[in-house]
Amino acid sequence: MDLSYNAEDEQFRSELRGWLEANIPREWSRPGFWSSLDREEAFALRRDWEARKAEAGWAGISWPTEYGGRGGTPAQKAIYDEETVRASVPYTVNPLGLTFLAPSVMVFGTEEQKKTIIPDLLFNRVIWCQGFSEPGAGSDLAALSTRAEDQGDHWLVNGQKVWTTNAMHGDWIFTLVRTNPDAPRHAGISMLLIDMHAEGVEARPLKQMSGESEFGEVFFTDVRVPKSSILGPVDKGWEVAMVLLSFERGSSAMGQYTGFRRELDQVAALAKGRERFGKPAAEDPQLRQKLGASLVELELLKLHSLHILTAVEQGRELGFEASMTKLQWSEAHQDLGELFLDVAELSGQETTGEDFAGLDPLQHSALWSRSETIWGGSSQVQRNVVAERVLGLPR
Amino acid sequence: MYFALTDEQRDLGRTVRDYLADRFGPEQVRAVYEDAAGDGHPAELWKACAEQGWLAVTVPEQYDGLGLGLLDLAVIARAWGASTIPGPWLPTVLGGEAIRIAGSPEQQAEWLPKVAAGEVVLSIATRREGGDWTAAGAACTESGGTLSGTAAQVEYAAVADAFVTATADGRLWLVEAAAPGVTVVRTGGLDRTTRLATVTFADSPATLLGDDLDSLYGAAMVLTANDLVGIARSALTRTVAYDKEREQFGRPVGSFQAIKHALADLHVAVSMAEHGALYAAYALDSGQPDAVQAVHVAKSKASDVARDATAAMIQYLGGIGYTWEHDAHFAFKRAKREEYAYGDGAWHKEKLAQLLLA
Ligand SMILES: Cc1cc2nc3c(=O)[nH]c(=O)nc-3n(C[C@H](O)[C@H](O)[C@H](O)COP(=O)(O)OP(=O)(O)OC[C@H]3O[C@@H](n4cnc5c(N)ncnc54)[C@H](O)[C@@H]3O)c2cc1C
Repeated sequence: MDLSYNAEDEQFRSELRGWLEANIPREWSRPGFWSSLDREEAFALRRDWEARKAEAGWAGISWPTEYGGRGGTPAQKAIYDEETVRASVPYTVNPLGLTFLAPSVMVFGTEEQKKTIIPDLLFNRVIWCQGFSEPGAGSDLAALSTRAEDQGDHWLVNGQKVWTTNAMHGDWIFTLVRTNPDAPRHAGISMLLIDMHAEGVEARPLKQMSGESEFGEVFFTDVRVPKSSILGPVDKGWEVAMVLLSFERGSSAMGQYTGFRRELDQVAALAKGRERFGKPAAEDPQLRQKLGASLVELELLKLHSLHILTAVEQGRELGFEASMTKLQWSEAHQDLGELFLDVAELSGQETTGEDFAGLDPLQHSALWSRSETIWGGSSQVQRNVVAERVLGLPR
Repeated sequence: MYFALTDEQRDLGRTVRDYLADRFGPEQVRAVYEDAAGDGHPAELWKACAEQGWLAVTVPEQYDGLGLGLLDLAVIARAWGASTIPGPWLPTVLGGEAIRIAGSPEQQAEWLPKVAAGEVVLSIATRREGGDWTAAGAACTESGGTLSGTAAQVEYAAVADAFVTATADGRLWLVEAAAPGVTVVRTGGLDRTTRLATVTFADSPATLLGDDLDSLYGAAMVLTANDLVGIARSALTRTVAYDKEREQFGRPVGSFQAIKHALADLHVAVSMAEHGALYAAYALDSGQPDAVQAVHVAKSKASDVARDATAAMIQYLGGIGYTWEHDAHFAFKRAKREEYAYGDGAWHKEKLAQLLLA
């Protein structure tokens, strides 16, 4: 057992800290700063700042340097996740591109794709969407029906995607489409890269329960997509998607831990300041039990992250352990959201701004945590994976 | 960054498990369980503990020990729990820890070589009936170097050579079983992988060890947590194996999603509990700043998950799980007893709330 990071990794941490201290405007950490901004204004601010961060070399931490990454270790990526949350760096505007597309391009992309897609992504010149889910294909992704017909020199795409994060800000979308309707379910799918500004692509916002419209629908009507705009071989899109989704595997949950742990401290502080049934909320034995339980699950999430990090550094194959990571952080965060609402009781049900604009960050988190057990593989799907792939229970 | 057991620690675990599989399997455990009147202290197992050095793990080398740490003990505790092994290994090891942590060099020189060699059995007698087993609930009061009081649920008291007990000021004392005024009255117990007794001290001569009750309890919590995660993991593994085979409605019951999801949640919870029990042993041993928190996290989670996993084992085995013949109840009852030993989940969560709200 040795929980220290090596000197090089610690050097990385202190440089990163130094850069963040010097480059994050003071007012960003003022409570209520982000929710006071107009949503579009906030997005633009995040987008530009993130690009500057990338220019300073603080992006693509564990990607190879030949693709504009930093060539860092898995530990440095975990440190990066921890430190950026600690410093209140706003969440990336390009999450799906950074987490999924870029590493997939490194594996499956042509030289040309590697040279254009990755730098455009790193500097937020292009915001990428993920076009997987459809009205008829959610957990059962292989049921997708958006189709692409081979027109000789281009694909003709028709269909609809839904729940598309960043639909209204997206420039390009990596999209699973059916290229061979006669093949078995998994065999006739391809991963097309589609320009969202092209003729026939229409994005419509969908309003979420938090009031925002971070996701939306994307409609394709006779969209012409160049033959070269495909990731991996034709009809091998399922295989590409599986590798693509595997990039979440082995990523530690240090970022989530750091953020949630801070939220728990805020909830504890709130409990000290509020009354419940005429007594300080912090004296309520049931709330105390829930506070303790939340601390247990979050500290275990941290240890689990260290376990994952160790496994990655030892070069061990992680398999389906990512499903456990996802279950642990998403369920623990949802419970923490409930705990906040329990402590706040009716006052937590009040809002100030118009149309949920000025939500308290903890209120927002409590709502958002309801989505965390759905996207990226719902908790039910993750449990199926753990039961079948890890425990080996029969299908 | 290396959050895992070392190769040596893994080897130790393998050696212990191999020995148990070979020499102290389910039949031997059952023999102890069935023999309610017996002392529950199999001689052959004790001899093996001494020969293999399993009683000498944290005893310093100068006292014939191995000079290793709590993490190494935790490895053994986990194997012990996994097979619901009876015998006074844990109480003796904890008694040794009390002497190592709190005792004077003379006391260590007198006792630790005997602990390491398996020449003495020790037990912890700090909890008074109805007490909360912390210092405030301590078993004894002191007067002029002698102790009086009653300790309840003392493990293996009938075979113990000496008891570690406590007074309300948090001081730890050693009382020899043969000392005047010491009486041991055995009681029955649901969990017959141990033996319980009430121990009464009446003006019994005692030796002061020191004032480290909390350190002793830290080790006790950590090792109990590791025993518990051993129980939990083994209960889950056995349930999965059974439900893969058992068919109803023309298919293995393990293919039903209600069972799958429950077992998947347990797998996550047991894995987390394993991380917690591992870290707590390390944190306490190496004096990490969050050691106290780590111990509460570990014992809370281990207590809850061992209860859940052993209850699930009974449920998902069906009728056979409720029989005397099946070993499921060994695990369930041991998990129950250890859940309450040194604080249950709720007790530790309250401690964590105190840390959070401080
Ligand atoms: C905030 C948010 C952002 C998203 N962003 C994107 C994005 O950018 N791109 C994209 O492609 N998708 C995105 N999604 C979609 C997401 O991937 C899907 O919502 C998810 O896969 C579930 O599909 P579904 O909504 O159709 O629910 P369904 O699959 O219809 O599920 C309904 C319920 O049934 C359960 N269920 C389904 N199958 C099983 C089973 N086999 N066993 C047991 N229970 C089952 C589910 O757990 C759920 O509770 C996003 C979703 C959200 C909420």
